[in-house]
Amino acid sequence: CKKGKWPLSSPVLRREKFFIFVFSGSCLAFVYGMVCLYVCMQIFSTVGSQKSKEVCLSYIQDAMLRKQWKRAAEFLTFYIESLEKDFSTEYMGPSEVIWRIGAEILCHRFHNNMKEFSSFIEQMKTLGVKRYLKVSVCLEHAFHLLCNGQIDEAYQNLSLAESWRFGEQTAIQDKEMKLIQAYRGLLDYYSWSKQKNILLEHDLSVEQEMHGCFRKAAMNLKEIIKIPGVWDLFVKCYVDLLEFYGDYSEAREVLNEYAYNSKFPANPNAHVYLYQFLKRHGESKKSLLSALKILHDIVPSHELMIDFHIMLQKSKKRKKRRLGLEVIFAVLDYAGWKENVKAWSCLARQVKQIKHLDWIKQEWDPRRDWWPAFHFSRYSAKRNWQENESLSYEKALVAGILLGKGCKAQVKRFRILKKFLNKHNPVYLRLSGLSDSSVQP
Amino acid sequence: MPSLPAGSWVPSVTPQDILYRGDSCTSQPLPVLPTQLSHFFVDHPEDAFGSLGKLLHQNFYLGDSKLRVSVHSGLPPCSGCPRKNLVPRLRWFSHLARDWLFEVPLGLLADCVHEDLLLQWASLLFDDSPTGGALAWLPPKDVGARTGRLVYPGGQAMNHLCILPHGVALRRGGGGREGVPYFVGVRSDYHCGVWRVPGRTGAAPTPLQVIRTSVPASCLTVSPHLPGELAVCTQSGAVYLWSVETGLQRLRHDPQTMFFRDHSPWRWSDFTAHPRVLSCADRTGLQCLDTRVSPGGCHFDLFKVGEEAGCQQGERVVLPMYLGRAYPSQHLVTTQFSVYVLDERLPLVPVLKWAHMMKAPPLFAHLTPGGPGRSHKVLLGASRTQELLLLQYRGEKRGALGPPCWGSQSACQLVGTPQKLHSVSSCLQHLPAQLPHRHRLLQQRLSAPAAGGCPAPPGGLGVLGRGQDVSWKVLVPEEAECPQEPSANPQPSPAAALRYRRWLKAFSKVCGQPPRHTRPPTFGQKRLFTRKELEEPSAPSALQGQARRWLRQAMRDGGCLQRWDPPPSALPEPPEPAEDPDPLSARLTASWCGDWDGWWEGRMSSSLAQRQRALRERRRRQKRARGRRSLSASFTSSLTYQSELSELSDPDTAPPPRREASPPLGTSPPAAATPPSPEEALLSSQSLRSRGIPKERRKTLRDYLAVWADGPPEPPELPGSQASQLCIPSSQSQLSSASQPRRKRPRMGF
Repeated sequence: CKKGKWPLSSPVLRREKFFIFVFSGSCLAFVYGMVCLYVCMQIFSTVGSQKSKEVCLSYIQDAMLRKQWKRAAEFLTFYIESLEKDFSTEYMGPSEVIWRIGAEILCHRFHNNMKEFSSFIEQMKTLGVKRYLKVSVCLEHAFHLLCNGQIDEAYQNLSLAESWRFGEQTAIQDKEMKLIQAYRGLLDYYSWSKQKNILLEHDLSVEQEMHGCFRKAAMNLKEIIKIPGVWDLFVKCYVDLLEFYGDYSEAREVLNEYAYNSKFPANPNAHVYLYQFLKRHGESKKSLLSALKILHDIVPSHELMIDFHIMLQKSKKRKKRRLGLEVIFAVLDYAGWKENVKAWSCLARQVKQIKHLDWIKQEWDPRRDWWPAFHFSRYSAKRNWQENESLSYEKALVAGILLGKGCKAQVKRFRILKKFLNKHNPVYLRLSGLSDSSVQP
Repeated sequence: MPSLPAGSWVPSVTPQDILYRGDSCTSQPLPVLPTQLSHFFVDHPEDAFGSLGKLLHQNFYLGDSKLRVSVHSGLPPCSGCPRKNLVPRLRWFSHLARDWLFEVPLGLLADCVHEDLLLQWASLLFDDSPTGGALAWLPPKDVGARTGRLVYPGGQAMNHLCILPHGVALRRGGGGREGVPYFVGVRSDYHCGVWRVPGRTGAAPTPLQVIRTSVPASCLTVSPHLPGELAVCTQSGAVYLWSVETGLQRLRHDPQTMFFRDHSPWRWSDFTAHPRVLSCADRTGLQCLDTRVSPGGCHFDLFKVGEEAGCQQGERVVLPMYLGRAYPSQHLVTTQFSVYVLDERLPLVPVLKWAHMMKAPPLFAHLTPGGPGRSHKVLLGASRTQELLLLQYRGEKRGALGPPCWGSQSACQLVGTPQKLHSVSSCLQHLPAQLPHRHRLLQQRLSAPAAGGCPAPPGGLGVLGRGQDVSWKVLVPEEAECPQEPSANPQPSPAAALRYRRWLKAFSKVCGQPPRHTRPPTFGQKRLFTRKELEEPSAPSALQGQARRWLRQAMRDGGCLQRWDPPPSALPEPPEPAEDPDPLSARLTASWCGDWDGWWEGRMSSSLAQRQRALRERRRRQKRARGRRSLSASFTSSLTYQSELSELSDPDTAPPPRREASPPLGTSPPAAATPPSPEEALLSSQSLRSRGIPKERRKTLRDYLAVWADGPPEPPELPGSQASQLCIPSSQSQLSSASQPRRKRPRMGF
């Protein structure tokens, strides 16, 4: 199905015409099977075999996308039959296609009947012993089993796949093998955490077994983490294992490597995990702030930025408090934070403390041209007032101070807001006084 | 439900137009002639018998009853040869182009034609101009209102903006974007405009601004954050932030593609979670640009076609879209193979990838955000194949702003199976049976490429075809419990069937009229000349004034107006009795007298003698010419000098090489001194030029006239090169030099 070209070549056009012609004939439900049979015989006998396979696949695709599973299954059997007659050497492509289509049809048509599915998989394994099916089918089968809660079977399946030694070994296969091992490690971690819960209920008999699980899980997880990639799930589990057994230095090393190794993609989650780890172990504020500073540089809109802002405000250093103001302004630049009460209250508190008006002015100046339309429009004021009054108060306060008289027009309709704003008006006067004085020299 | 606009539809170019020469039917293997003819008689009766009927119908006696001719027959008049209407167009074109087409070098012309064919072929294979879709749904802003509006281009060339109120029963109130009015961006090739559509349904939309681009614009997106802000991309690789208040701000100008070399000039731009950061895309990937810093300053890569995203060989970005209404930091990227969901916070690694397996790359996408805890629906649509695919996906919880990306809370995943929606052309089978030709027209109309699609509440879906039919579908949610499979072709509801019929009626009314494009196109002079050129001279010349005076005088007197310039001649002389009757009358006379045999004998012998004489004459002429040519060669060295002098003195500033090709016959002093005979006047270069005959044709014309004027005994070989040879002994230097253009050598220091 993926054999497209760019730009599309003309055979596709021709195939479509054929397609439409055939489909307009097969409307009636009761002659349906016969028509299918007739069509398939026709296309298999008249058109070349490659062509017929393509047409058949497009029928299957169409049926599946319209949720006509029975029809899709019928076409799939025709497809497989045509493959049996075809003695061409190309074997890998169709087996992947059959696997994918068959799995999808079985899942929907028989509503996840596990028995049917297992027998299909066994057939698939014997159909294609070549390299594709060995690894991928097993992994996908394991996922399917996991989704249906059959964890032990999934585990067995993965171990089986690992021990399979067939066909040539390629680089991709090597990676896939690593992935299988990692997922097996994950399942080991799962059983380990189950036993941990039993252990915590003061049943010490499981300790031996639990330790075995730990060793197997740690060994497999450690391997995959070395390869550059996004391995959030595995890293978290591995760190959890290490922490339970008190190996903090190893855990920290793993997290540092995951966050700071330049070969890995820039992953904000890596910094989040590091920060959470440092926080759990009561590390110094300085190291916490440095972890969050990097996160701020990567993702200024992260939810931890509120924590970062609060920590920075508590600091006594001028520079850090300045950074705190920057952080909260940057957070509110993003559309996702527009209606976040906490962020607005943080900013309102900052603005109310009239300590560093020049800082506020510096932050406000580049935003002067677009924040009013973005945050303080009349429409949003109305909606905020209807949906969340406390948000409205915070925003009105900030708007009142930053915009001054321009804001009053926006909140004219809400008498309470107006009163509230008048109470805090002196701040605006000072800010505007400052801006006047800054112009004068 | 399709609704018909007034204009008729212009059929687009088909692959056959380019692949096959001439009529497409001739390129197929031909059946036997009688079968073919019988088919022709049946299929095109009016072409086969119409002309004969027209010729004879006055002579038919059809009794005393009144003859009635029905103007509108059942068959449309266009059922003849499809290429028929092209002939007058071609003739018009040749009429227009005959003056200059010869001056275009053939190689250049061929290159241009080839280039244009390539472009047309490329756009047939994949036309990226409708990227983004041309249909938008504006939900109602007022809570009480029940009608939203559809915005789409209409008219014959899609040159009107239609805003159609469309009534739907509203289930969920509110919704929509920030800011009370809507801002609608309208893009054509060289113009982009922005309209403001008030939130109230009754109010009229107002155009705000229009910009003109020198290079076709490939993208125009409206900001979801700030009212009156748009992103514009042109095919030259420029990206602008367009604000209605502050104007254009150029963010980037790079004709090269971003990550690797790709020939496509297509560019796209959209907004991101930060209102001041724009995403910018070409076929190789996406980047995010910060508008607050100088151009080219701060950017990061969001998506790259390559290994990180697990792309295939030859995979290219087709359509990026910001999914801000579902999740503030997510983007959708479609390629011709797959659909990717990307998160700005974890760039380059897709959060979701799915192979869509559509036959044509999806050119428009639309997002319908689901409520909290519900999946979001993404509609993907392909243009040429009319495929529509509905996906549902779910990512992190909205508004929770949990740890970014996936992994910890809930992974971004597809929900349920993707569903294929019925294409517009599939409704053909639900329409009542039609006459074959009308069926073909219907089929053509309904299978026109889709130009846009958008979902609209509740569960409706609009699709705009290139034929400007907006069809409306209602999606009925399927019950999960229901084990019954939907049949292959569900029958439409009675209401839909009624609407189909109503549309069909409107369609047949439009089809009954002759299609507009079959009329021969008219060319207005106003388009060919500027207003200044067309302006009449302000003051009438003396001659005109005199003529008017005479005219007025003649009208007052009631007499007849006579020619004023030459003295009025006497009555036309009676034709002189022909000395030599023409052969036909001679022959008739002879046969009348019964002496036809004698006439024939005499004719044969005389013609033989005539021919012999002509042959002899020609040989002699050739001999003479040969002798003169050798003579003229000896003259040239002294003659070129004078010819060049005369060229220099010629005030007409024409490039020298072309002057060689066409000698300035009329400007030579001897020719000017003696009034030219009518033929000479006809053939002189100036008179030819004044008649608008191109230079390349003048020689042909002269040769032709030379042959034609062979009869008169006057120097027969006057025109053309032979004429100049005759003239050489009388030292008409320019003529001789012109006849020997190759002899002319550039002289140094002259």
